Amino acid sequence: MVSYAPVDGHDRRSGCRVYVERLLVEPSPASFARRALTDRQRRDVFAREALPYLDRLYSTALRYTRNPTDAEDLVQEAMAKAYRSFHQYEPGTNLKAWLYRVLHTTYISMYRKAQRRPQETLQDEIDDYSLYDDLMRAGSNSSEHEVLAMFTADEVKQALADLPETFRMAVYLADVEGFSYQEIADIMESPIGTVMSRLHRGRRTLQKALSDYARSRGLLVDGAEGRA
Amino acid sequence: MTDDLTDAGEPGAVNADGPQGHGPAGRCQGALIELEAYLDGELPSERLEGIRDHLAECFPCTGRVSFEEQLRAIVRRDCVDSAPPSLLERIEQVLAEDS
Repeated sequence: MVSYAPVDGHDRRSGCRVYVERLLVEPSPASFARRALTDRQRRDVFAREALPYLDRLYSTALRYTRNPTDAEDLVQEAMAKAYRSFHQYEPGTNLKAWLYRVLHTTYISMYRKAQRRPQETLQDEIDDYSLYDDLMRAGSNSSEHEVLAMFTADEVKQALADLPETFRMAVYLADVEGFSYQEIADIMESPIGTVMSRLHRGRRTLQKALSDYARSRGLLVDGAEGRA
Repeated sequence: MTDDLTDAGEPGAVNADGPQGHGPAGRCQGALIELEAYLDGELPSERLEGIRDHLAECFPCTGRVSFEEQLRAIVRRDCVDSAPPSLLERIEQVLAEDS
């Protein structure tokens, strides 16, 4: 059974935040987690509610770490942390987004805390780049849809993996996991405007990387017609 | 290319729709700005009608939209991995120990 109502008798937190819940969990089983449960019951509820997200969390962790061993460690640690703080999870709210938030903070503390990162940036010109325009301008024997279909899974994975972390994760969370701007802002603890800008620039950079693959494979040939 | 402002906004004028500009090029410009939010399902409802009307009559913008949709579908298809079975075992062990 799916409930569309907010949590029974709870005020929404700070009024001003409009939160679109794309995923609604059954309120009944999880609400047990807040009452006095035996350890066994708590574990069963967690296993039933959270473990189904394991594949998605691992896939996400792999985008963070870009390395299967680290991704496994990250998911294990995040799941342990989520389990320990499962009582803080508010039943009826978005469990998936909550798990991703835990994954994000766990990643920061495990892999990013030590290194002081410089501000991540992308070239300014990238704002104006469009693979579609590039394909329309350049000569190609194939339609732009055919060119897209010719990219291999490895090329697409690599193009995403090569994005700087914050851009990579914004694009992944939106395009693969289907989170809304607000959900991504909550997961990554970033202002929504920053999320939108990372998405825009990240997608453009990914398109540019794909155009490089297309050029190196001869799918896209410059100078055939009217290229400025 | 400059936008032709003179005939914009007249009742019944074909191009009296876009907030960002008038005339064919101006309307594409306006649609382009909103395209990403539109594809993300994040365009405010009051602006949806404008972009849908434009897409219904603009072949180039429709081509762009379907290209961008296909590209997103490819990323969604290719950038997904399944957890190795050993990971589930590790996590079940953690749960057992923590209980």
